[in-house]
Amino acid sequence: MQLRPEIQIQSMIKAMMEVVLPAVDPSNELAVQQAQLVVGHLSIFAQRLPLQYRYDRDALDRLIALAADLKAAGAGGDSSLEQAAGIGAKVLERAKADPAELVQAARALTAAMDTSIRKVFAEGDEATQSRVEKVTLAMGREQLLRDRAWLIMQGWEPDPASVPAIDTLLAPTPAQG
Amino acid sequence: MSVIDKDRPSPEWIAAMRAKFVTEREIDRSMTNKLQRRASPPYTPLTLEQIVDGLRKLVAAHVPGAFNVKEARWLSGGASKLQVAFTLDWIRPDGSPEQARMVLRLEPAESLHETSRLREFQVVKALQGAMPMPAVYWVDAEAKYLPYPGLVYGFASGVAKPSNAPSNVSGLGTRMPPELRRTLGPQFVRDMVKLHTFDFRGADLSAFDIPQPGKQNAEWAVGWWDRVWEEDSDEQVPLVSLASAWLRKNAPAVEHLSIVHGDFRVGNFLFDEKTEQITAWLDWELSRIGDRHQDLAWSTSRAFGSFAEDGKTFLVSGLVPEEAFFESYEKLSGLKVDMKSLRYYQVFNAYSMVAMTLATSYRVAKNGKSHQDVLLTWLLGVGYMVMDDLRALIEKEL
Repeated sequence: MQLRPEIQIQSMIKAMMEVVLPAVDPSNELAVQQAQLVVGHLSIFAQRLPLQYRYDRDALDRLIALAADLKAAGAGGDSSLEQAAGIGAKVLERAKADPAELVQAARALTAAMDTSIRKVFAEGDEATQSRVEKVTLAMGREQLLRDRAWLIMQGWEPDPASVPAIDTLLAPTPAQG
Repeated sequence: MSVIDKDRPSPEWIAAMRAKFVTEREIDRSMTNKLQRRASPPYTPLTLEQIVDGLRKLVAAHVPGAFNVKEARWLSGGASKLQVAFTLDWIRPDGSPEQARMVLRLEPAESLHETSRLREFQVVKALQGAMPMPAVYWVDAEAKYLPYPGLVYGFASGVAKPSNAPSNVSGLGTRMPPELRRTLGPQFVRDMVKLHTFDFRGADLSAFDIPQPGKQNAEWAVGWWDRVWEEDSDEQVPLVSLASAWLRKNAPAVEHLSIVHGDFRVGNFLFDEKTEQITAWLDWELSRIGDRHQDLAWSTSRAFGSFAEDGKTFLVSGLVPEEAFFESYEKLSGLKVDMKSLRYYQVFNAYSMVAMTLATSYRVAKNGKSHQDVLLTWLLGVGYMVMDDLRALIEKEL
């Protein structure tokens, strides 16, 4: 998926700065101020979005430590605190890879598959090519259905009702062990 | 494994791209220029004054007498080029004074289609009188006078869609009311026929290479878009590699070569809302000499059409029922619509659209190279529907 927040935010900031803001009537102070605030919010997204997951994981990690400290300090009589800390620790245990790592691993795997497929189309025999075609098309069907569902709100689909809702297509987050 | 930095391509990599993908010479020149400029700074907004200054120099190079450029204003243009409307107060070559409304069409630093202004100029000039075309005056193919390469058109009157019709960007998804379909539909077919039966061999189309009858046209076409994908894409996609291999393996031969518009669809012609007559065909930058089925397949793409009120009848470019479209085209042109070639070019067109939307849109916007980065980013989103279309089309053929 190439349409990711990074490039969307970058292009929105550019449009706001270079086209929209210069065209806003300077006597409309509310419009000028709000347009500037839109740019400000977008700039925060652009800088902080890549760190958001780490930020939340770091917060949870320290909160779990703090819960232990609180208990040691004598404030841990409430069983709900211990229970919440336990749940938090289990979630933290599962939250190991950064989203960027996930994306990178998927890209690297796709690239390796693509290289193999190109080799088959360049050098492989007809039977191998035919089998690889089938697998590749099937793989594309599943992924593209998700890509189309992800972007349904853009309005490109001639028959949007035929595209399932994205949340019904995505594998659920693995349950905690 | 060495990683290619496509944002700062080395001379060796550029040479490798040129050697690997065989296409027309002028297309190779445009694409090579693009790569050579890629590491240069992003596009920065041009002022109207900067553009008018360059425009005056361009006009002065062609017009011997006094002239005045006035009333310059921005036009929204398409997803690809910058456009400025202006009035030229000048003495025509025949000696008559004129206040002519004109349009300057200019490239940004990089754009959705990296194409040649010279080709665009030549094809529009060649087709004057053959079908509704805007006038065309001068070209600055090497940016000798203008900030970027550009050309000057006569201002064509009309609208690209009914004033009250909804549509997505670039005229996609335009819904034409039934009464307008009745008048515009036959003109749409008529103009395609005029284009495909036009005798181009006597025209000055020196920036076009004429393929040998047979498969060479298809090989050049696939080479063009293979190269676009390779140079602009950010991630490898197995389905794209499969499609490229399929296109090379299944290229059809063509005996009757035609000028192909390359983007023949609703949104790329203007019409007069009162007379309901097509006044001009626009956006010739993807034109080439090739197989008519490329245009036929493009026009009949699901992406550019819509369904009639019954919800079942697919309207080509939102105008003509598909069956009637092919029937009328064959009858008027005397040229056959070969379903196998049509299906091939449906795959080819989907492939080129995938390259445009998922590779070029991404690369241009990422590097901040155009005046329309936010629109190009938006267009990235259509790439997945088109790629799924590509997949389904190939699957049907296997």
